[in-house]
Amino acid sequence: MAISRTCDGMKRRDVLKVGAIGATGLTLANYLQWAQAGQVREGRAKAAIFINLTGGPSHMDTFDLKPNAPDEYRGEFKPIATNVPGIQICEHLPKLAQCMDKFAIIRGVSHTLAAHRLGQEYVNTGNRPLPSLEYPGYGSVVAKELPAPRELPPFVAIPNTNQRPGFLGVRYAPLNTGATPQPGRPFSVRGIALANGLTVAEVERRQSLLRDLDTAFRGFEKQDQLLDGLDRFTQQAYDMITSKKAREAFDISKEDPRFRELFGEDGFNQSCLLATRLVEAGVRFVTVTLGGWDTHRNNWETLKNRNLPTLDSGLAGLLRGLEAKGLLDSTTVFVTGEFGRTPKINQQRVGRDHYPRCMFMLLAGGGIRGGQVVGESNENATLPADGKGFSPDDVAASFYHTLGIDHHKEYHTSTGRPIMIVRHGNVIPQLFG
Amino acid sequence: MRRITRAIATLAVAVAAVSVARAEPQVQQRIDKRFAAGPRSEVPDFQRHVVPLMGKLGCNGRACHGSFQGQGGFRLSLFGYDFKMDYENLTKGDEAKDILPRVDTEFPEESLILEKATLTVPHRGGKRMDKGSWQYNVFLSWIRGGAPYLENGQRRKLQRLDVTPREIVFSRSGEKVQLRAVAHWETGEVEDVTPLCRFQTNDDQIAEISPDGLVTAKEAGDTHVVVFYDNGVVAIPVLRPVSDLVGDRYPAVPARTKVDELVIAKLKKLGIVPSEVCDDAEFLRRVKLDLTGTLPTPEEIRQFLADRSPDKRSRKIDELLRSPAYAAWWTQKLCDYTGLSDDALVNVVPRGVGRDASRDWYEWIYDRIARNVPYDKIVEGMVLAVSRAPGESYTDYCRAMSEIYRPGSQRRFSERPTLPHFWARRNFRQPEERVIGFAYSFLGLRIQCAQCHKHPFDQWSQDDFKQFAGFFTSVIASQNSSAPDARGEYDALLKKAGLDKKLRGNELRRKLASLLQDGKVVPFGEVYVRPVRSNARTNRKNNSKYVSSGPKAKLLGAEVVDLTRYDDPRKPLMEWLRRPDNPFFAKAFVNRVWASYFNVGLVNPPDDLNMANAPSNAALLDYLARGFIDSGFDMRWLHREILNSDTYQRSWVPNETNKHDERNFSRAIPRRLPAEVVYDALVQATGADEVVARMQTEMDGRAIALPNAGPRYARRNNGMAYALQVFGRSTRESNCDCDRTSDPSLLQVVFLQNDAAVYQMIDRKDGWLAQVAREHGWSFSPRRSSTLKRPANYERIVAAQRAKIAQLKKQGRKELAKQLAERLRAMLKRYGDPDAAKPQKGQGRSEADLSALVAQAYLRTVSRYPNDAELRRSVEYVKSAESPVDGLRDLLWALINTKEFIVNH
Repeated sequence: MAISRTCDGMKRRDVLKVGAIGATGLTLANYLQWAQAGQVREGRAKAAIFINLTGGPSHMDTFDLKPNAPDEYRGEFKPIATNVPGIQICEHLPKLAQCMDKFAIIRGVSHTLAAHRLGQEYVNTGNRPLPSLEYPGYGSVVAKELPAPRELPPFVAIPNTNQRPGFLGVRYAPLNTGATPQPGRPFSVRGIALANGLTVAEVERRQSLLRDLDTAFRGFEKQDQLLDGLDRFTQQAYDMITSKKAREAFDISKEDPRFRELFGEDGFNQSCLLATRLVEAGVRFVTVTLGGWDTHRNNWETLKNRNLPTLDSGLAGLLRGLEAKGLLDSTTVFVTGEFGRTPKINQQRVGRDHYPRCMFMLLAGGGIRGGQVVGESNENATLPADGKGFSPDDVAASFYHTLGIDHHKEYHTSTGRPIMIVRHGNVIPQLFG
Repeated sequence: MRRITRAIATLAVAVAAVSVARAEPQVQQRIDKRFAAGPRSEVPDFQRHVVPLMGKLGCNGRACHGSFQGQGGFRLSLFGYDFKMDYENLTKGDEAKDILPRVDTEFPEESLILEKATLTVPHRGGKRMDKGSWQYNVFLSWIRGGAPYLENGQRRKLQRLDVTPREIVFSRSGEKVQLRAVAHWETGEVEDVTPLCRFQTNDDQIAEISPDGLVTAKEAGDTHVVVFYDNGVVAIPVLRPVSDLVGDRYPAVPARTKVDELVIAKLKKLGIVPSEVCDDAEFLRRVKLDLTGTLPTPEEIRQFLADRSPDKRSRKIDELLRSPAYAAWWTQKLCDYTGLSDDALVNVVPRGVGRDASRDWYEWIYDRIARNVPYDKIVEGMVLAVSRAPGESYTDYCRAMSEIYRPGSQRRFSERPTLPHFWARRNFRQPEERVIGFAYSFLGLRIQCAQCHKHPFDQWSQDDFKQFAGFFTSVIASQNSSAPDARGEYDALLKKAGLDKKLRGNELRRKLASLLQDGKVVPFGEVYVRPVRSNARTNRKNNSKYVSSGPKAKLLGAEVVDLTRYDDPRKPLMEWLRRPDNPFFAKAFVNRVWASYFNVGLVNPPDDLNMANAPSNAALLDYLARGFIDSGFDMRWLHREILNSDTYQRSWVPNETNKHDERNFSRAIPRRLPAEVVYDALVQATGADEVVARMQTEMDGRAIALPNAGPRYARRNNGMAYALQVFGRSTRESNCDCDRTSDPSLLQVVFLQNDAAVYQMIDRKDGWLAQVAREHGWSFSPRRSSTLKRPANYERIVAAQRAKIAQLKKQGRKELAKQLAERLRAMLKRYGDPDAAKPQKGQGRSEADLSALVAQAYLRTVSRYPNDAELRRSVEYVKSAESPVDGLRDLLWALINTKEFIVNH
């Protein structure tokens, strides 16, 4: 078998020696300066929760309000004070306002992909999509870099996700739960829970039958990568299915009732509850999806009555819950949609349209200093104030930094092409200040 | 061993003799010898000497000055071949940035390229050569000579690069052979360029190669070493037999077909003895899965095993080639190669009318494969696709499409002559996307490297990429309008349909859909060609650094074409594809078919036909490609030619000589079933007999016949979409066969072992288990689908309730009895009926009956009869289960969880 060659004819081994200093020397130096001055803390998170607000949430009506903007921009929501002096967010996010000290708002994040799918791919990978390559989602990279306990899936998506393993391969694909949990009910997750009333004893019985019958390749398994892999995964799957730990990780009914009260009853809130439980058990990466942000029409009605209350209690519950379990410091929470929405109101439809040039993202936990706003948009939130702002790549680099993952690390695609985890981003030092 | 080395020496001499006889007698001496003593008056040539030497020293590598940002203010084109840029960057500095020229013709010794590379001044790249070395002398002499650019500013053409020996056969680890490379230029020069070549081994476990071209034998096996010079790439086979069964000692292995003959010829050199031909059951399962993506049925297996005629295998192959499952499965594969995905076809046709562009595409190919339309004809229908049929007006075209899209219509999209959707994909709009996608689909080439730099393993330069793009700039895929000549018709259609001209996007498409539902004629988007005019200038829209547009374009590795001579610039492209001397078109397909049967291609990865990635058996690839062309691109010929060989029909069971062989086809390699095939196999193995029968003829609902694909589909929340994703169905996103994967993963095993979708298959009403229960009069209740834990003493509670209800009825208290009965029903619904699953012990059944059922289960899953031990263990298990249904359920579960089931072997 030919060994893997990189696109420039180097062998993998050589690449490791040379490293990635070249392309990024300047920024690295910059970064080291910050680090030496003690301003960038080492990544210390062991897990991450990614909340995907699909459809593209309006930045101006959530975390980047412009009360002084002219009528055709402003929107009807009022800002309210938070528990951090000087920071205001939307009046319909009262619970989050009370835990502003736990998360950071990044304003003036900017890109140019105004289509849902491309935008989603961008914010779920930290790399601008390319036609000739499929980048892995955050969860797949984290699953690869931070091995999970054997009896747990490293990457769980509630109920599913836009993050795919891309060129890393199916080994790093998420376990999609396919559904959201319901309050107080045990949650059956595909494949993990012992469904259909199966008992561990029954599973062991049939497993022994399987062992006796699975003999066609006996004696040859170790010589063949595929057969050997199937054997190893079979054993691991068995461990997972029969593991009490895995089963209980998904069983939110096992959670203390007082803890459960932190969360609302809807699917998103319960998913946030489940996410805290999974991370507690050792799952490395959990995505939770909250859709319905594509508010071309009836923007304010929709946000006020549905999206914002749901997000408010779910995310606030998540942050408080992680803190209560002592996990906030070791868990990074990353919240983003694929873009912001047009600052100028679409009067005809009482809505806002796609707008990637100015958006917000949220980061919390994992060494991120909460209670701060990083970056700034201009007066009508049409662009970053400095014209440049942050790219999704920068936020991605910062996110990986919290987990101690070097975002300049290179992987090789099956075609031998060397690809950095995040090629263009730089860690945003203020987040860790 | 001595004999073999001598043979090599003789070979080398012989080859040299031939080239001497054929070419110039005057081979210019090696440059390292010429410049060993010091600088000379000879001025080295920029293309022939200076740039290759910089490549050899690593200057233009990715981590060094080949980086797109340059390094230390100096940038070279990655892997060279952009002579203009390299020359300018060497000879011009940038005063504004305080960057000195790297070359100083006034004070040659002080040139930065000399001082840096010798570490006379600091150089982050370290020392690359010594002062006074021949390399140093070459650069110095070039600079002293005025650092001249290319002669007449023109790139010279390398006619060929002769490397000797042509093949290296080692017999022992540690043996060494020196390569020699002679460049033949079109201008007549012939030079020994060995010291200027870059060398690479494709497998350093088998052969190492030094920077000077000295090859050293390592472990037994075979690989290639590759020589690079200018745009020449030559791969030299290196092999070392794995056993002493070579030459006269090689056993007599019959070669039944030409394919076998060519495979065995290679095995002979390697001392590898092939495995035996497999038994009938193994053959049937393998060939049916490979050719039709479908498990054999129990009845089919019985018949095939009972058939005593000697030609039954080849008749089976013919029979399968005529089946709808063959057409479905190979359509699926062609959809992989041509990039059919829902995501790429969003909004190509109106939404919500019960069919979509993906279905159009799938059915268009399916129809042709089912009729065995030649491969080149199918490709032609894609390459030359336009929306309107010949002679059709825009209005007629819209009328025809509206009819196809009318609910209940009998017209099929597959009746349309071409497949314009291929060009309407949203990831196939820009000329550079088209170059990459086209090269991937039909040439098996990864040309994308050459978009930004010289291809590191192939002849392609950025220029090749740019000039090839010219064929792709004139095709327009317009979503919301017609070609310019029919704008009036478009407006008229809008008006007639009562549509507002200003409607756009989703609103327009919704309106169109509802009009189509009503059987109205609506305007469709159009794919059309704008002929190239001789005064064509760079189109501003296509004004890309990757594309040159104009009246001329250049075929890859072939001639320049004047596009103004054609009404459709894609015509010369298509003519080139089917030309017998096209080096890629037939090979790309043949190689993919081969790869789908043998786990690896003759060239592997199968979509990477670059020159450095030489075929493991070049003669075989040539033979099959030639035969495919001569057959008139008959795909069935190709399948038959491969499948009828012993090579395809070998057992997976290895012997001492071939246990490590994975690329010379001396045995079958176990392969995980493709995602769609896994899903269908699960449905079939667990299905009732009538389901199994229906799946053989009816493709609707089969995963192998699913037109929808891509991330958009994968996100759908159904069991099939999830399973297909987990098992690695192609995402069809990145122009790579690697978008599909057959790697195993934890989630796959978790799915098979414990997913509700699999339990539901086993326990479904039209499943085999339910059928068996019915036939035997056993009560059958699916495993409780609820995860709710039953209350303690549940069985007693139910029994007590039932007794109470009976008592109440007796007492005539009907109302109360009814209420209680209702409550009981709700409880039973929630927790299941404890009596329904009441054991009916297997003991009551005869041994023979259970044996037959176990055999059934085996035939349905692993497509063979159980052996004695397996039969004993299985029968014993079923007998000891609470009920035969429970026992058989576990048996079926165990069998679909064996490696034997999930693997094609």
